[in-house]
Amino acid sequence: MNPVHLELKNVSRAVFRRVNKTRVKTQILSSLDLIVQRGELVTIMGPSGSGKTTLLRLINRLAEADSGSIMLNGKDIKEYDPFELRRKVGMVFQIPVVFRGSVNENLAVGMKLWGYENDIYALARDCVIPLELLNADAEQLSVGEKQRVCIARALANQPEVLLLDEPTSALDAASAEKIETLLLNLRKEKGLTMVWITHDREQAKRTGGKRYFLRNGRLEEDHE
Amino acid sequence: MNELIALALTVILVMLAAAYARRFGIGKEISLSGTRSIVQILILASIILVLFKLPLYWSLIVLLTMVAIAGHTTYTRSGKLDKVFPAAIFSIASASLLMLVPFFLFGIFPLEPQYLIPTGSILIGNTMNVSSLAIDRYRGEIKNRRNEVEAYLALGAGPKVAASACLKQGILSALIPSIDNMKNLGLVWIPGVMTGMLLAGASPFTAASIQIAIFTSIFAADLMASNLLLHYSTSSFFTGAAQLREDLE
Ligand SMILES: Nc1ncnc2c1ncn2[C@@H]1O[C@H](COP(=O)(O)OP(=O)(O)O)[C@@H](O)[C@H]1O
Ligand SMILES: [Mg+2]
Repeated sequence: MNPVHLELKNVSRAVFRRVNKTRVKTQILSSLDLIVQRGELVTIMGPSGSGKTTLLRLINRLAEADSGSIMLNGKDIKEYDPFELRRKVGMVFQIPVVFRGSVNENLAVGMKLWGYENDIYALARDCVIPLELLNADAEQLSVGEKQRVCIARALANQPEVLLLDEPTSALDAASAEKIETLLLNLRKEKGLTMVWITHDREQAKRTGGKRYFLRNGRLEEDHE
Repeated sequence: MNELIALALTVILVMLAAAYARRFGIGKEISLSGTRSIVQILILASIILVLFKLPLYWSLIVLLTMVAIAGHTTYTRSGKLDKVFPAAIFSIASASLLMLVPFFLFGIFPLEPQYLIPTGSILIGNTMNVSSLAIDRYRGEIKNRRNEVEAYLALGAGPKVAASACLKQGILSALIPSIDNMKNLGLVWIPGVMTGMLLAGASPFTAASIQIAIFTSIFAADLMASNLLLHYSTSSFFTGAAQLREDLE
């Protein structure tokens, strides 16, 4: 059995919604638990609005849990420097956001931040980005190409964990399949730990990982 | 005698404007702000009159009060973010002061309240306007480009890097009116200082030289104040753990 890589214990999170000028508290996650082993891939399904994105944002501390603890390598994420935590725990958003500039410049952000010597060409090859796109304006790419740039940009940080927030849901079927294959290959080659959110049960099954369902603020294993 | 006629005309104009503006539902506002401006400027005149006779440090106190009020105005524009009040005071004060010094150091103006107060207030007023525009736009950009800012944060970038494109946009859009003014100087409008000096009987060349000196100083102060302010405000948009705050108005 691999060692535990990521562990969520008793994690709760509420948000305040504005309804007619008053703030109404809604509990999104309540006493949620999750254990992910090193190199494991888990998928999380759930209806939209159930808190899947919220959950991922807690893991790399883009947002703060109200209570409970999240441990990475046995250490509470609050004890990490937030920047180092986010380097270790990469995130791919549902809607890809590229930065102004060329694809090259996008891929180089991590290197600039962390002083890594990455091979951009290898990175592009791993993420199926054609080399002739490297100097293209990132904002003019198709959504599928942008998503590949975002994945490559996250990988340039040399993360241990990759959080994937419905990485294929904004794409057409062909691009979605490409990204899915790409992610599954990356996991095989690099042994990345992945938490993959999807609304597509078939996709979840194809990943071969443990499947969870987010319901009433908690995770239930999906045996279907 | 002339001044009484001018004041009487002003009062009549304010009344007429207010009466006319009633149809837009802003009659009361106009009469109120019109009255306010008349009273304030008369008070200012009396203060200056007194200041002319007082030692110089009194003028400095008056300028500092102006800075405090200007800082508060800009702070309000920021959506009352904490730390922006001191940052606004600091940036408005240092930029204005820095651009004020050469005028007196090189003897363009004698160091007397009569010169110090008007030049100081022009600089303070302008840096306040530009700072307010800049912080308002900065906040708007950060709010609207949340996804981009958070994409940077998610890569482990700090707030400075994550918000740098928004900061640039904030400064750029705040300075656009000043840049346009500079381009059109003398074409579309004769600016205030020159108008005043001409009315007071100065030679057009003297008036123009002083005007352009003040004008460029204003621009430099605007640039400096808005840069300083946005620079020092960035952390107010983020939490201690480098999270983009959720409660940005
Ligand atoms: N910062 C926030 N303020 C208010 N409501 C929020 C905030 N973040 C998320 N929510 C609400 O929490 C619920 C869960 O959101 P999310 O985690 O994005 O769901 P999912 O990703 O499963 O579709 C939604 O109803 C959303 O409107
Ligand atoms: Mg979501």
